Amino acid sequence: MKVKLVIIAIACCLFWGVGCAKKQVQSDPEQTTGSEVVDTSAQEAEAERQAELERQRLEEEQQRLREQELTEQRRLEAEQARLRKEQERELQIMQKEEAFSALQSEKVFFDFDSFELKPEARAILQRKAQILKQWSEIKLMIEGNCDDRGTAEYNLALGERRARAAYEFLVLLGVDSNRLQIISYGEEYPIDPANNETAWAMNRRDEFRILGSNP
Amino acid sequence: MTWDDCLMKKIIIVFLILLFYCLPAAAKTLNIDIYGPGQSAVNLYIAPPVLSSGQSISYNSSLPSTFRKLLLDNLQFLPFFNFIDSEQIVGGGKLKSALGKNIDFKKFNLSKVDLLISILCKNSEDNTNIAGLEVRAYEVFSGSFMLGKAYSVKNMAQLPLIASRFSAALMRQLTGKGDFFETKLAYVQRVDKHKQIFSISPQGHDKHQLTDLQGISLSPSWSWDGRQVAFVFINNREHRLAVWSKGLDKVQTWSMPGNTCISPVFTPQEQIALSIDPEGSPNIYLLNDKYQLEKELVKSWAIDISPSFDRLGDKMSFISSRLGNPHVFVLYTKTGEVQRITYQGKYNTGAAISPDGTKVAFSRMVEGNHRIFIIDIASGQEKQISFGPGNDEDPTWSPDSYFIAFSSNRSGTYRLYLTTVHGDEPKEIPTGAGEATAPSWGPSLDD
Repeated sequence: MKVKLVIIAIACCLFWGVGCAKKQVQSDPEQTTGSEVVDTSAQEAEAERQAELERQRLEEEQQRLREQELTEQRRLEAEQARLRKEQERELQIMQKEEAFSALQSEKVFFDFDSFELKPEARAILQRKAQILKQWSEIKLMIEGNCDDRGTAEYNLALGERRARAAYEFLVLLGVDSNRLQIISYGEEYPIDPANNETAWAMNRRDEFRILGSNP
Repeated sequence: MTWDDCLMKKIIIVFLILLFYCLPAAAKTLNIDIYGPGQSAVNLYIAPPVLSSGQSISYNSSLPSTFRKLLLDNLQFLPFFNFIDSEQIVGGGKLKSALGKNIDFKKFNLSKVDLLISILCKNSEDNTNIAGLEVRAYEVFSGSFMLGKAYSVKNMAQLPLIASRFSAALMRQLTGKGDFFETKLAYVQRVDKHKQIFSISPQGHDKHQLTDLQGISLSPSWSWDGRQVAFVFINNREHRLAVWSKGLDKVQTWSMPGNTCISPVFTPQEQIALSIDPEGSPNIYLLNDKYQLEKELVKSWAIDISPSFDRLGDKMSFISSRLGNPHVFVLYTKTGEVQRITYQGKYNTGAAISPDGTKVAFSRMVEGNHRIFIIDIASGQEKQISFGPGNDEDPTWSPDSYFIAFSSNRSGTYRLYLTTVHGDEPKEIPTGAGEATAPSWGPSLDD
């Protein structure tokens, strides 16, 4: 019985050896099975280490990507915020330009030899007062004008009364008087030099000119 | 016959003889009262110039006729002259001699000439050109010598001045006043986008541009010594008081209190009075010699502008809308009393008081157009002296209170015109191209 077991064991070992010998064709033939076992473990360890490194690399890669995404996102958000601000500013500028344009283009008209503010004139001046109060840096010159049917000297005086009427009304509406100036041009600068009632009516006016911002 | 009868007859005969003798002499003496109501015109003839013996017609040949034309142009501004043409002279108007003793006054008398002017051209010493002019005026009816002047001539450019001098002398001889030909007007002329101040003689000679500012210059007014012109300068920021000075030949400007500067004038004491609005409506103030406010002359809630002083400074006319519409008022400077002058019309502006202080000229809007009126301060009587068409504005008096210059757009553009206190037919003052307004009459300059 024991002799049979020993023979089987030896046979098994032989089989194992043949097998291993195939594997170890490249290895040193003088190496014994003990080093084969060690090499296998080293390989496994190496593989594991590699796998670990790979995993780490992947993780780092992912982290980097995530960070990039985040940065990109932040950049985009900042860009959008900037654009929004710009648009707001443009809108403000446009509104300001429109407002300034309205401030300067809307004129106030008068009857002959009169410096009385008519209801339409008061409405126009109310609009101007709103704009002036919204943009407090504006200084305004009020220019009084006349048609040429009167005489030149009297028209210089009348032009001043017309400019002053607008000035006083604006001050009444809350505009600081330091921001307003008056000048009379009398009959010297007509819009329409023709000799008819339409032209004369256009010339009897106050005009408004922005003088520039406070420093 | 008794002694008495004899004596009586003798007395009567002597009387008749005397009467007969005196009658022609009493018939006509040439004397023109320019302030009298509607004087009749004097017929004037200027004979073609006489060359002194030895002259040929070739050298200086345009000088005699040029001078005659200049004299004629000058005298045509005097409304009391009627001018006789050479064709109207029986037997032709040429003179053989410029001296009265050799003039055939009968033919001029027949041709109804009242006043004859003769011109004599004198040779230079070497006989190469005309070096002198002698101008004589004769009363034709009596053949008597009225006036004679001799002038030396260096070149043609002196002729306008010589013509002015003689015209002034003639006018003074006839009317007692000769300022017209020796004075100047300041006025406003549009030049490109701006308006500048110019000076010119009332006959349209010696035009000078006094200012060259970037803006609108208005309302010139001479000082009484003729050496300065005050005016208003407007740029795109403000009104400024401005003064041109002959001695400096430049303009100084000052900022005034308030927003408006209107109608500056000189008082006879050579201070400036003007209308400014430090209190909100234009009032009239007097400035000191540093151009600061010295005194308030006229003040109201309304528009008070256009001060004008008489020669003594006792009266100042001005325009005020204190009653609702602009009217003429007079301030008596010694008492401070203010008298309303105009009661008619709804728009009376541009008032100027005559230098002798008796009348105010102004323009009134009549049916939409301005016309020049004169009102006598003492009596309140008004007289319209201009009749358009168009607008007649800005009257100004000559120093002798006889002529009035004003601006009118009767031709389509504003130009300057001359008329008199009687409203004689206006004559245009040739100022050249460009719109001319706001005349101010100044005294003769004592150069």
